[in-house]
Amino acid sequence: MSSLGLGVLQTGTGDVNPAYLGVFVVYLVGVLAIGAWAYLKTDDVSDYWVYGKELGPTLATWSYVANFVSAVSVIGFVGSVYGGGYSIVTGIVFGLMLGISGLYFVVHKVRELNHITFPDIIAELTGREVARPITGGVLLANAWVYLIMQLVGAGLLVTTITGVPYQYMIWVIGGVFILYTVMGGLVSVAWTDLAQGTLMVATVALALGYMVFDLGSLTSLNQQFMALDPANVAPLGDGAYTLIGVAASIVAFFGTIFTSQATVVRINATDSIRTAKFHLAAAGFILSVFYVMLVMLGAGTTVGLNGAGLAVENVDRAFPVLIMEYVPTTVGTIIIVAIMSGILSTTDTRLHACGVTAAHDLYDYFVDGGADDEKLLLVSRVSTVGFGIVATAAAVNPPGTIISLYNWRAILLTSALLVPVYVALYYRDTSGKAVLASIVLGALSGPGWNALGEPLGAPAAFVGVGMAIFGLLVGRYAWEDTPAASPGAAPSDD
Amino acid sequence: MSVLGMPTGMFLVFVATLVAGSLGTAHYVIVHVIMGQPVEENIREEPPSEVGGDV
Repeated sequence: MSSLGLGVLQTGTGDVNPAYLGVFVVYLVGVLAIGAWAYLKTDDVSDYWVYGKELGPTLATWSYVANFVSAVSVIGFVGSVYGGGYSIVTGIVFGLMLGISGLYFVVHKVRELNHITFPDIIAELTGREVARPITGGVLLANAWVYLIMQLVGAGLLVTTITGVPYQYMIWVIGGVFILYTVMGGLVSVAWTDLAQGTLMVATVALALGYMVFDLGSLTSLNQQFMALDPANVAPLGDGAYTLIGVAASIVAFFGTIFTSQATVVRINATDSIRTAKFHLAAAGFILSVFYVMLVMLGAGTTVGLNGAGLAVENVDRAFPVLIMEYVPTTVGTIIIVAIMSGILSTTDTRLHACGVTAAHDLYDYFVDGGADDEKLLLVSRVSTVGFGIVATAAAVNPPGTIISLYNWRAILLTSALLVPVYVALYYRDTSGKAVLASIVLGALSGPGWNALGEPLGAPAAFVGVGMAIFGLLVGRYAWEDTPAASPGAAPSDD
Repeated sequence: MSVLGMPTGMFLVFVATLVAGSLGTAHYVIVHVIMGQPVEENIREEPPSEVGGDV
Protein backbone atom coordinates (compact mmCIF):
# COMPACT_ATOMS: atom_id res chain seq x y z
CA MET A 1 0.00 0.00 0.00
CA SER A 2 1.21 3.42 -0.81
CA SER A 3 1.73 6.51 1.28
CA LEU A 4 1.37 10.20 0.86
CA GLY A 5 4.67 11.77 1.74
CA LEU A 6 4.45 15.27 3.16
CA GLY A 7 6.84 16.58 0.57
CA VAL A 8 4.36 15.74 -2.13
CA LEU A 9 1.88 18.21 -0.73
CA GLN A 10 3.82 21.18 -1.93
CA THR A 11 2.73 20.59 -5.49
CA GLY A 12 0.81 23.14 -7.44
CA THR A 13 2.67 24.04 -10.52
CA GLY A 14 1.19 27.46 -10.89
CA ASP A 15 -0.11 26.43 -14.32
CA VAL A 16 -3.84 26.56 -13.72
CA ASN A 17 -5.79 24.20 -15.98
CA PRO A 18 -8.98 26.15 -16.83
CA ALA A 19 -10.95 23.07 -18.00
CA TYR A 20 -10.30 21.06 -14.84
CA LEU A 21 -10.68 24.08 -12.57
CA GLY A 22 -14.00 24.96 -14.25
CA VAL A 23 -15.37 21.47 -13.71
CA PHE A 24 -14.31 21.57 -10.09
CA VAL A 25 -15.97 24.95 -9.48
CA VAL A 26 -19.24 23.74 -11.04
CA TYR A 27 -19.05 20.65 -8.86
CA LEU A 28 -18.58 22.71 -5.67
CA VAL A 29 -21.47 25.02 -6.58
CA GLY A 30 -23.64 21.93 -7.17
CA VAL A 31 -23.00 20.42 -3.75
CA LEU A 32 -23.52 23.82 -2.10
CA ALA A 33 -26.91 24.10 -3.83
CA ILE A 34 -27.91 20.69 -2.44
CA GLY A 35 -26.76 21.88 1.00
CA ALA A 36 -28.95 24.98 0.77
CA TRP A 37 -31.95 22.88 -0.27
CA ALA A 38 -31.30 20.41 2.56
CA TYR A 39 -31.18 23.30 5.04
CA LEU A 40 -34.80 24.04 4.21
CA LYS A 41 -35.69 20.37 4.73
CA THR A 42 -33.99 20.14 8.13
CA ASP A 43 -36.51 21.01 10.82
CA ASP A 44 -35.03 19.51 13.96
CA VAL A 45 -32.08 17.69 15.47
CA SER A 46 -33.45 14.29 14.40
CA ASP A 47 -33.40 15.40 10.75
CA TYR A 48 -29.88 16.72 11.18
CA TRP A 49 -28.50 13.64 12.94
CA VAL A 50 -30.39 10.73 11.36
CA TYR A 51 -32.62 12.12 8.58
CA GLY A 52 -35.63 11.83 10.89
CA LYS A 53 -35.05 8.03 10.70
CA GLU A 54 -36.72 8.06 7.30
CA LEU A 55 -33.80 7.07 5.09
CA GLY A 56 -35.13 4.85 2.30
CA PRO A 57 -33.36 1.98 0.48
CA THR A 58 -31.97 3.91 -2.51
CA LEU A 59 -30.59 6.85 -0.53
CA ALA A 60 -29.21 4.57 2.19
CA THR A 61 -27.46 2.31 -0.34
CA TRP A 62 -25.78 5.03 -2.37
CA SER A 63 -24.93 7.08 0.69
CA TYR A 64 -23.15 4.02 2.10
CA VAL A 65 -21.37 3.33 -1.18
CA ALA A 66 -20.24 6.94 -1.60
CA ASN A 67 -19.05 7.19 2.00
CA PHE A 68 -17.14 3.92 1.67
CA VAL A 69 -14.86 5.04 -1.15
CA SER A 70 -12.33 7.36 0.43
CA ALA A 71 -9.12 9.13 -0.53
CA VAL A 72 -7.33 5.99 0.61
CA SER A 73 -9.44 3.88 -1.72
CA VAL A 74 -8.97 6.01 -4.77
CA ILE A 75 -5.47 7.46 -4.60
CA GLY A 76 -4.04 4.86 -2.26
CA PHE A 77 -5.49 1.74 -3.89
CA VAL A 78 -4.58 2.74 -7.44
CA GLY A 79 -1.13 3.78 -6.20
CA SER A 80 -0.80 0.54 -4.26
CA VAL A 81 -1.57 -1.55 -7.35
CA TYR A 82 0.96 0.59 -9.23
CA GLY A 83 3.61 -0.16 -6.63
CA GLY A 84 2.68 -3.61 -5.38
CA GLY A 85 0.29 -5.30 -7.78
CA TYR A 86 -2.96 -7.08 -7.03
CA SER A 87 -1.97 -8.33 -3.55
CA ILE A 88 -4.01 -5.50 -1.99
CA VAL A 89 -7.13 -7.45 -2.98
CA THR A 90 -6.09 -10.42 -0.85
CA GLY A 91 -5.42 -8.56 2.37
CA ILE A 92 -7.64 -5.50 2.39
CA VAL A 93 -10.43 -5.56 -0.20
CA PHE A 94 -11.45 -9.15 0.62
CA GLY A 95 -11.63 -8.32 4.35
CA LEU A 96 -13.71 -5.19 3.72
CA MET A 97 -16.19 -7.01 1.47
CA LEU A 98 -16.54 -9.91 3.89
CA GLY A 99 -17.21 -7.33 6.60
CA ILE A 100 -20.11 -5.73 4.69
CA SER A 101 -21.76 -9.11 4.22
CA GLY A 102 -21.07 -10.00 7.85
CA LEU A 103 -22.73 -6.78 9.03
CA TYR A 104 -25.74 -7.57 6.82
CA PHE A 105 -26.39 -10.70 8.90
CA VAL A 106 -26.32 -8.88 12.26
CA VAL A 107 -27.63 -5.43 11.33
CA HIS A 108 -31.11 -6.14 12.72
CA LYS A 109 -29.56 -6.42 16.17
CA VAL A 110 -28.30 -2.84 15.83
CA ARG A 111 -31.36 -1.28 14.21
CA GLU A 112 -33.94 -2.84 16.54
CA LEU A 113 -32.39 -1.01 19.50
CA ASN A 114 -33.44 2.24 17.76
CA HIS A 115 -30.54 4.32 19.02
CA ILE A 116 -28.60 7.02 17.17
CA THR A 117 -24.89 6.46 17.74
CA PHE A 118 -22.51 3.62 18.55
CA PRO A 119 -21.85 4.93 22.09
CA ASP A 120 -25.64 4.84 22.70
CA ILE A 121 -25.57 1.13 22.02
CA ILE A 122 -22.51 0.51 24.16
CA ALA A 123 -23.99 2.53 27.03
CA GLU A 124 -27.09 0.33 26.94
CA LEU A 125 -25.16 -2.92 26.63
CA THR A 126 -22.88 -2.06 29.54
CA GLY A 127 -25.57 -0.37 31.62
CA ARG A 128 -23.16 2.51 32.18
CA GLU A 129 -23.50 6.06 30.92
CA VAL A 130 -19.76 6.57 31.31
CA ALA A 131 -19.31 4.26 28.32
CA ARG A 132 -20.77 7.03 26.18
CA PRO A 133 -17.97 9.64 26.51
CA ILE A 134 -15.27 6.95 26.58
CA THR A 135 -16.28 5.40 23.26
CA GLY A 136 -17.45 8.76 21.92
CA GLY A 137 -14.01 10.20 22.55
CA VAL A 138 -12.30 7.32 20.75
CA LEU A 139 -14.69 7.53 17.79
CA LEU A 140 -14.41 11.32 17.63
CA ALA A 141 -10.63 11.19 17.53
CA ASN A 142 -10.80 8.52 14.84
CA ALA A 143 -13.33 10.43 12.72
CA TRP A 144 -11.43 13.69 13.06
CA VAL A 145 -8.05 12.28 12.07
CA TYR A 146 -9.72 10.35 9.24
CA LEU A 147 -11.22 13.66 8.14
CA ILE A 148 -7.77 15.26 7.98
CA MET A 149 -6.56 12.46 5.73
CA GLN A 150 -9.50 12.87 3.37
CA LEU A 151 -8.83 16.59 3.08
CA VAL A 152 -5.17 15.90 2.41
CA GLY A 153 -6.07 13.42 -0.35
CA ALA A 154 -8.62 15.77 -1.91
CA GLY A 155 -6.31 18.76 -1.71
CA LEU A 156 -3.43 16.83 -3.24
CA LEU A 157 -5.52 15.58 -6.13
CA VAL A 158 -7.17 18.90 -6.92
CA THR A 159 -3.88 20.76 -6.62
CA THR A 160 -2.21 18.36 -9.03
CA ILE A 161 -4.91 18.59 -11.64
CA THR A 162 -5.91 22.25 -11.41
CA GLY A 163 -2.54 23.79 -10.65
CA VAL A 164 -3.92 25.85 -7.77
CA PRO A 165 -1.43 25.69 -4.85
CA TYR A 166 -2.31 23.18 -2.15
CA GLN A 167 -2.34 25.68 0.74
CA TYR A 168 -5.17 27.62 -0.96
CA MET A 169 -7.08 24.70 -2.40
CA ILE A 170 -7.33 22.90 0.95
CA TRP A 171 -9.23 25.87 2.44
CA VAL A 172 -11.60 26.08 -0.52
CA ILE A 173 -12.45 22.37 -0.21
CA GLY A 174 -12.67 22.46 3.59
CA GLY A 175 -14.85 25.62 3.52
CA VAL A 176 -17.38 24.30 1.02
CA PHE A 177 -17.77 20.99 2.80
CA ILE A 178 -18.12 22.52 6.23
CA LEU A 179 -20.75 24.89 4.86
CA TYR A 180 -23.02 22.36 3.22
CA THR A 181 -22.67 19.76 5.97
CA VAL A 182 -23.50 22.29 8.66
CA MET A 183 -26.50 23.51 6.68
CA GLY A 184 -28.29 20.26 6.05
CA GLY A 185 -26.72 17.56 8.25
CA LEU A 186 -27.51 14.01 7.14
CA VAL A 187 -30.12 15.29 4.67
CA SER A 188 -27.33 17.12 2.80
CA VAL A 189 -24.90 14.25 3.19
CA ALA A 190 -27.33 11.58 1.96
CA TRP A 191 -28.51 13.48 -1.13
CA THR A 192 -25.04 14.60 -2.20
CA ASP A 193 -23.87 11.03 -1.61
CA LEU A 194 -26.58 9.73 -3.92
CA ALA A 195 -25.31 12.01 -6.68
CA GLN A 196 -21.65 11.39 -5.91
CA GLY A 197 -21.95 7.62 -5.45
CA THR A 198 -23.71 6.91 -8.73
CA LEU A 199 -21.37 9.25 -10.60
CA MET A 200 -18.33 7.63 -9.08
CA VAL A 201 -19.24 4.03 -9.87
CA ALA A 202 -20.30 4.88 -13.41
CA THR A 203 -17.18 6.86 -14.24
CA VAL A 204 -14.70 4.40 -12.75
CA ALA A 205 -16.38 1.79 -14.99
CA LEU A 206 -15.97 4.22 -17.90
CA ALA A 207 -12.31 4.86 -17.08
CA LEU A 208 -11.60 1.14 -16.86
CA GLY A 209 -13.45 0.64 -20.14
CA TYR A 210 -11.23 3.29 -21.74
CA MET A 211 -8.03 1.68 -20.46
CA VAL A 212 -9.15 -1.82 -21.51
CA PHE A 213 -9.96 -0.50 -25.00
CA ASP A 214 -6.68 1.41 -25.11
CA LEU A 215 -4.61 -1.62 -24.08
CA GLY A 216 -6.45 -4.12 -26.29
CA SER A 217 -8.49 -6.23 -23.86
CA LEU A 218 -8.71 -7.16 -20.19
CA THR A 219 -6.59 -10.24 -20.85
CA SER A 220 -4.01 -8.13 -22.65
CA LEU A 221 -4.03 -5.59 -19.79
CA ASN A 222 -3.31 -8.35 -17.25
CA GLN A 223 -0.66 -9.97 -19.44
CA GLN A 224 1.16 -6.65 -19.83
CA PHE A 225 0.79 -6.06 -16.08
CA MET A 226 2.38 -9.46 -15.41
CA ALA A 227 5.11 -8.81 -17.98
CA LEU A 228 6.19 -5.72 -16.02
CA ASP A 229 6.67 -7.90 -12.92
CA PRO A 230 5.24 -11.40 -12.27
CA ALA A 231 4.74 -10.40 -8.60
CA ASN A 232 2.05 -7.96 -9.78
CA VAL A 233 -0.40 -10.82 -10.27
CA ALA A 234 0.63 -13.01 -7.30
CA PRO A 235 -1.96 -13.16 -4.46
CA LEU A 236 0.76 -12.60 -1.83
CA GLY A 237 2.90 -10.31 -3.96
CA ASP A 238 5.31 -13.17 -4.65
CA GLY A 239 6.57 -13.28 -1.06
CA ALA A 240 6.09 -9.60 -0.20
CA TYR A 241 3.37 -10.61 2.28
CA THR A 242 3.07 -13.56 4.67
CA LEU A 243 -0.06 -15.60 5.18
CA ILE A 244 -0.36 -14.56 8.83
CA GLY A 245 0.11 -10.90 7.89
CA VAL A 246 -2.63 -11.14 5.29
CA ALA A 247 -4.91 -12.95 7.76
CA ALA A 248 -4.39 -10.16 10.34
CA SER A 249 -5.12 -7.54 7.71
CA ILE A 250 -8.35 -9.32 6.76
CA VAL A 251 -9.43 -9.42 10.43
CA ALA A 252 -8.58 -5.73 11.00
CA PHE A 253 -10.44 -4.45 7.94
CA PHE A 254 -13.33 -6.86 8.45
CA GLY A 255 -13.77 -5.36 11.92
CA THR A 256 -13.79 -1.73 10.82
CA ILE A 257 -17.03 -2.32 8.94
CA PHE A 258 -18.79 -3.14 12.22
CA THR A 259 -17.26 -0.41 14.34
CA SER A 260 -17.55 2.79 12.33
CA GLN A 261 -19.65 5.54 13.90
CA ALA A 262 -20.74 6.78 10.45
CA THR A 263 -22.00 3.30 9.54
CA VAL A 264 -23.94 2.88 12.78
CA VAL A 265 -25.49 6.36 12.46
CA ARG A 266 -26.59 5.54 8.90
CA ILE A 267 -28.06 2.18 9.97
CA ASN A 268 -30.06 3.98 12.67
CA ALA A 269 -31.24 6.55 10.12
CA THR A 270 -32.95 3.89 7.99
CA ASP A 271 -36.73 3.74 8.01
CA SER A 272 -36.93 0.00 8.78
CA ILE A 273 -34.91 -3.15 9.42
CA ARG A 274 -35.73 -4.18 5.86
CA THR A 275 -34.02 -1.03 4.54
CA ALA A 276 -31.09 -1.54 6.92
CA LYS A 277 -30.58 -5.05 5.51
CA PHE A 278 -31.26 -4.01 1.92
CA HIS A 279 -28.70 -1.20 1.88
CA LEU A 280 -25.91 -3.49 3.06
CA ALA A 281 -26.97 -6.28 0.69
CA ALA A 282 -26.98 -3.93 -2.29
CA ALA A 283 -23.87 -1.99 -1.25
CA GLY A 284 -21.89 -5.22 -0.74
CA PHE A 285 -22.51 -6.22 -4.33
CA ILE A 286 -21.92 -2.73 -5.77
CA LEU A 287 -18.73 -2.18 -3.78
CA SER A 288 -17.21 -5.58 -4.54
CA VAL A 289 -17.69 -4.95 -8.27
CA PHE A 290 -16.44 -1.37 -7.85
CA TYR A 291 -13.23 -2.38 -6.06
CA VAL A 292 -12.45 -5.10 -8.58
CA MET A 293 -12.82 -2.45 -11.29
CA LEU A 294 -10.72 0.02 -9.30
CA VAL A 295 -7.74 -2.31 -8.82
CA MET A 296 -7.89 -3.30 -12.48
CA LEU A 297 -7.88 0.40 -13.30
CA GLY A 298 -4.75 0.54 -11.15
CA ALA A 299 -3.22 -2.19 -13.31
CA GLY A 300 -4.25 -0.31 -16.45
CA THR A 301 -2.68 2.85 -15.03
CA THR A 302 0.57 1.00 -14.36
CA VAL A 303 0.75 -0.49 -17.84
CA GLY A 304 -0.32 2.73 -19.53
CA LEU A 305 2.17 5.00 -17.73
CA ASN A 306 5.10 2.62 -18.09
CA GLY A 307 4.34 2.09 -21.77
CA ALA A 308 4.18 5.84 -22.39
CA GLY A 309 7.41 6.58 -20.53
CA LEU A 310 5.49 8.38 -17.77
CA ALA A 311 6.55 6.16 -14.86
CA VAL A 312 6.34 7.93 -11.48
CA GLU A 313 8.50 7.52 -8.43
CA ASN A 314 5.85 8.35 -5.83
CA VAL A 315 3.08 5.82 -6.47
CA ASP A 316 0.41 8.21 -5.16
CA ARG A 317 1.06 10.42 -8.14
CA ALA A 318 0.27 7.60 -10.57
CA PHE A 319 -3.41 8.34 -10.93
CA PRO A 320 -3.16 12.14 -11.19
CA VAL A 321 -0.45 11.71 -13.84
CA LEU A 322 -2.66 9.28 -15.76
CA ILE A 323 -5.42 11.88 -15.80
CA MET A 324 -3.18 14.80 -16.64
CA GLU A 325 -0.84 13.32 -19.20
CA TYR A 326 -2.18 10.04 -20.55
CA VAL A 327 -5.92 10.23 -21.21
CA PRO A 328 -7.63 12.88 -23.37
CA THR A 329 -8.86 15.96 -21.49
CA THR A 330 -12.53 14.99 -21.89
CA VAL A 331 -12.02 11.56 -20.35
CA GLY A 332 -9.73 13.05 -17.70
CA THR A 333 -12.36 15.60 -16.71
CA ILE A 334 -14.97 12.89 -16.21
CA ILE A 335 -12.58 10.80 -14.13
CA ILE A 336 -11.70 13.79 -11.96
CA VAL A 337 -15.32 14.42 -11.10
CA ALA A 338 -15.72 10.76 -10.15
CA ILE A 339 -12.65 10.67 -7.98
CA MET A 340 -13.46 13.92 -6.25
CA SER A 341 -16.94 12.57 -5.61
CA GLY A 342 -15.48 9.54 -3.91
CA ILE A 343 -13.17 11.49 -1.69
CA LEU A 344 -15.50 14.30 -0.75
CA SER A 345 -18.51 12.11 -0.02
CA THR A 346 -16.38 10.43 2.63
CA THR A 347 -15.26 13.82 3.92
CA ASP A 348 -18.80 15.08 4.49
CA THR A 349 -19.83 11.88 6.28
CA ARG A 350 -16.87 12.09 8.69
CA LEU A 351 -17.57 15.77 9.28
CA HIS A 352 -21.19 14.96 10.06
CA ALA A 353 -20.13 12.11 12.38
CA CYS A 354 -17.87 14.53 14.29
CA GLY A 355 -20.80 16.89 14.88
CA VAL A 356 -23.16 14.13 16.01
CA THR A 357 -20.59 12.56 18.33
CA ALA A 358 -19.60 15.88 19.91
CA ALA A 359 -23.19 16.95 20.60
CA HIS A 360 -24.94 13.65 21.28
CA ASP A 361 -22.24 11.53 22.94
CA LEU A 362 -20.12 14.13 24.70
CA TYR A 363 -22.00 17.42 25.27
CA ASP A 364 -25.31 15.79 26.19
CA TYR A 365 -23.55 13.47 28.65
CA PHE A 366 -21.74 16.29 30.41
CA VAL A 367 -24.89 18.40 30.80
CA ASP A 368 -26.60 15.26 32.14
CA GLY A 369 -29.14 15.05 29.33
CA GLY A 370 -30.37 18.54 30.17
CA ALA A 371 -30.01 20.06 26.70
CA ASP A 372 -33.10 20.57 24.57
CA ASP A 373 -33.22 19.69 20.87
CA GLU A 374 -32.55 23.25 19.76
CA LYS A 375 -29.43 23.46 21.89
CA LEU A 376 -28.19 20.06 20.65
CA LEU A 377 -28.71 21.11 17.03
CA LEU A 378 -26.73 24.27 17.68
CA VAL A 379 -23.91 22.34 19.38
CA SER A 380 -23.85 19.89 16.45
CA ARG A 381 -23.52 22.68 13.94
CA VAL A 382 -20.96 24.66 15.93
CA SER A 383 -18.84 21.56 16.56
CA THR A 384 -19.08 20.58 12.88
CA VAL A 385 -17.67 24.00 11.97
CA GLY A 386 -15.06 23.84 14.73
CA PHE A 387 -13.79 20.35 13.92
CA GLY A 388 -13.91 21.12 10.21
CA ILE A 389 -11.79 24.26 10.54
CA VAL A 390 -9.25 22.61 12.84
CA ALA A 391 -9.07 19.55 10.55
CA THR A 392 -8.54 21.78 7.51
CA ALA A 393 -5.82 23.70 9.35
CA ALA A 394 -4.18 20.39 10.31
CA ALA A 395 -4.44 19.19 6.71
CA VAL A 396 -2.28 22.10 5.55
CA ASN A 397 0.62 20.32 7.24
CA PRO A 398 -0.72 16.87 8.17
CA PRO A 399 0.67 14.85 11.10
CA GLY A 400 1.25 11.62 9.15
CA THR A 401 0.67 9.64 6.02
CA ILE A 402 -2.76 8.50 4.91
CA ILE A 403 -2.00 4.84 4.92
CA SER A 404 -0.27 4.69 8.30
CA LEU A 405 -3.37 6.22 9.86
CA TYR A 406 -5.68 4.00 7.86
CA ASN A 407 -4.01 0.85 9.18
CA TRP A 408 -3.68 2.17 12.74
CA ARG A 409 -7.35 3.10 12.83
CA ALA A 410 -8.38 -0.35 11.61
CA ILE A 411 -6.40 -1.97 14.41
CA LEU A 412 -7.81 0.42 17.05
CA LEU A 413 -11.48 0.08 16.09
CA THR A 414 -11.42 -3.67 15.56
CA SER A 415 -9.40 -4.39 18.71
CA ALA A 416 -11.50 -2.16 20.95
CA LEU A 417 -15.04 -2.62 19.73
CA LEU A 418 -15.67 -5.61 17.48
CA VAL A 419 -15.69 -8.47 19.99
CA PRO A 420 -17.18 -6.89 23.14
CA VAL A 421 -19.97 -5.00 21.40
CA TYR A 422 -21.19 -7.70 19.05
CA VAL A 423 -20.87 -10.48 21.65
CA ALA A 424 -22.91 -8.34 24.06
CA LEU A 425 -25.54 -7.71 21.38
CA TYR A 426 -26.17 -11.44 21.16
CA TYR A 427 -25.54 -12.37 24.81
CA ARG A 428 -27.37 -9.63 26.65
CA ASP A 429 -26.56 -11.04 30.10
CA THR A 430 -22.86 -10.28 29.57
CA SER A 431 -21.46 -8.24 32.45
CA GLY A 432 -21.28 -4.51 31.67
CA LYS A 433 -17.97 -4.29 33.48
CA ALA A 434 -16.61 -7.15 31.38
CA VAL A 435 -17.63 -5.36 28.18
CA LEU A 436 -15.94 -2.15 29.30
CA ALA A 437 -12.82 -4.05 30.43
CA SER A 438 -12.69 -5.78 27.06
CA ILE A 439 -13.00 -2.44 25.22
CA VAL A 440 -10.21 -0.84 27.25
CA LEU A 441 -7.93 -3.90 26.96
CA GLY A 442 -8.46 -4.12 23.20
CA ALA A 443 -8.00 -0.37 22.70
CA LEU A 444 -4.72 -0.38 24.62
CA SER A 445 -3.19 -3.64 23.43
CA GLY A 446 -3.88 -3.50 19.67
CA PRO A 447 -2.48 -0.03 18.95
CA GLY A 448 0.11 -0.52 21.73
CA TRP A 449 1.46 -3.68 20.10
CA ASN A 450 1.50 -1.84 16.79
CA ALA A 451 3.48 1.01 18.35
CA LEU A 452 6.02 -1.50 19.67
CA GLY A 453 6.62 -2.71 16.14
CA GLU A 454 4.65 -5.96 16.51
CA PRO A 455 7.20 -7.98 18.57
CA LEU A 456 7.49 -11.78 18.11
CA GLY A 457 5.96 -11.44 14.69
CA ALA A 458 2.47 -11.34 16.19
CA PRO A 459 0.18 -8.99 14.21
CA ALA A 460 -1.31 -6.15 16.30
CA ALA A 461 -4.86 -6.95 15.15
CA PHE A 462 -4.57 -10.50 16.52
CA VAL A 463 -3.11 -9.27 19.82
CA GLY A 464 -5.80 -6.60 20.20
CA VAL A 465 -8.70 -8.89 19.37
CA GLY A 466 -7.15 -11.65 21.51
CA MET A 467 -6.88 -9.36 24.52
CA ALA A 468 -10.44 -8.15 24.00
CA ILE A 469 -11.65 -11.77 24.08
CA PHE A 470 -9.49 -12.43 27.16
CA GLY A 471 -10.96 -9.39 28.94
CA LEU A 472 -14.48 -10.46 28.11
CA LEU A 473 -13.95 -14.04 29.32
CA VAL A 474 -12.20 -13.08 32.55
CA GLY A 475 -14.69 -10.29 33.23
CA ARG A 476 -17.63 -12.58 32.64
CA TYR A 477 -16.51 -14.83 35.49
CA ALA A 478 -15.08 -12.11 37.73
CA TRP A 479 -18.13 -9.83 37.77
CA GLU A 480 -21.66 -10.87 38.39
CA ASP A 481 -23.38 -7.58 37.46
CA THR A 482 -25.66 -7.35 34.49
CA PRO A 483 -26.45 -4.45 32.18
CA ALA A 484 -29.40 -2.20 32.85
CA ALA A 485 -32.75 -3.43 31.68
CA SER A 486 -33.87 -2.14 28.32
CA PRO A 487 -37.38 -0.79 28.65
CA GLY A 488 -39.37 -1.45 25.57
CA ALA A 489 -36.62 -3.47 23.95
CA ALA A 490 -37.66 -6.47 21.96
CA PRO A 491 -34.41 -8.12 20.98
CA SER A 492 -34.80 -10.85 18.41
CA ASP A 493 -33.78 -14.42 19.13
CA ASP A 494 -31.69 -15.09 16.04
CA MET B 1 -2.63 -21.83 -16.46
CA SER B 2 -4.16 -18.38 -16.62
CA VAL B 3 -7.60 -16.83 -16.70
CA LEU B 4 -8.09 -13.35 -18.17
CA GLY B 5 -4.33 -13.02 -18.40
CA MET B 6 -3.65 -13.68 -14.72
CA PRO B 7 -2.70 -16.84 -12.81
CA THR B 8 -5.63 -18.99 -11.62
CA GLY B 9 -4.78 -18.30 -7.96
CA MET B 10 -5.08 -14.55 -8.45
CA PHE B 11 -8.24 -14.96 -10.47
CA LEU B 12 -9.75 -17.00 -7.62
CA VAL B 13 -8.93 -14.20 -5.15
CA PHE B 14 -10.94 -11.82 -7.33
CA VAL B 15 -13.80 -14.32 -7.46
CA ALA B 16 -13.65 -14.80 -3.68
CA THR B 17 -13.81 -11.03 -3.18
CA LEU B 18 -16.88 -10.72 -5.39
CA VAL B 19 -18.51 -13.64 -3.57
CA ALA B 20 -17.59 -12.20 -0.13
CA GLY B 21 -19.24 -8.88 -0.96
CA SER B 22 -22.29 -10.57 -2.43
CA LEU B 23 -23.14 -12.99 0.41
CA GLY B 24 -25.65 -10.56 1.86
CA THR B 25 -27.03 -9.81 -1.58
CA ALA B 26 -27.54 -13.49 -2.28
CA HIS B 27 -29.25 -14.05 1.05
CA TYR B 28 -31.54 -11.05 0.59
CA VAL B 29 -32.54 -12.01 -2.95
CA ILE B 30 -33.12 -15.70 -2.18
CA VAL B 31 -34.80 -15.39 1.23
CA HIS B 32 -36.64 -12.07 1.08
CA VAL B 33 -37.34 -11.66 -2.64
CA ILE B 34 -37.65 -15.14 -4.21
CA MET B 35 -38.96 -17.00 -1.14
CA GLY B 36 -40.95 -13.94 -0.05
CA GLN B 37 -40.04 -14.28 3.64
CA PRO B 38 -40.74 -10.95 5.37
CA VAL B 39 -38.08 -9.12 7.36
CA GLU B 40 -39.03 -9.13 11.02
CA GLU B 41 -39.65 -5.50 11.99
CA ASN B 42 -39.16 -5.31 15.73
CA ILE B 43 -37.74 -1.83 16.17
CA ARG B 44 -38.78 -0.65 19.59
CA GLU B 45 -40.69 2.59 19.94
CA GLU B 46 -38.25 4.61 22.01
CA PRO B 47 -34.85 3.64 23.37
CA PRO B 48 -34.26 4.17 27.10
CA SER B 49 -33.23 7.79 27.63
CA GLU B 50 -30.59 6.81 30.15
CA VAL B 51 -29.18 3.56 31.45
CA GLY B 52 -27.99 2.52 34.90
CA GLY B 53 -25.35 4.08 37.11
CA ASP B 54 -21.80 4.87 36.22
CA VAL B 55 -18.83 2.83 37.15
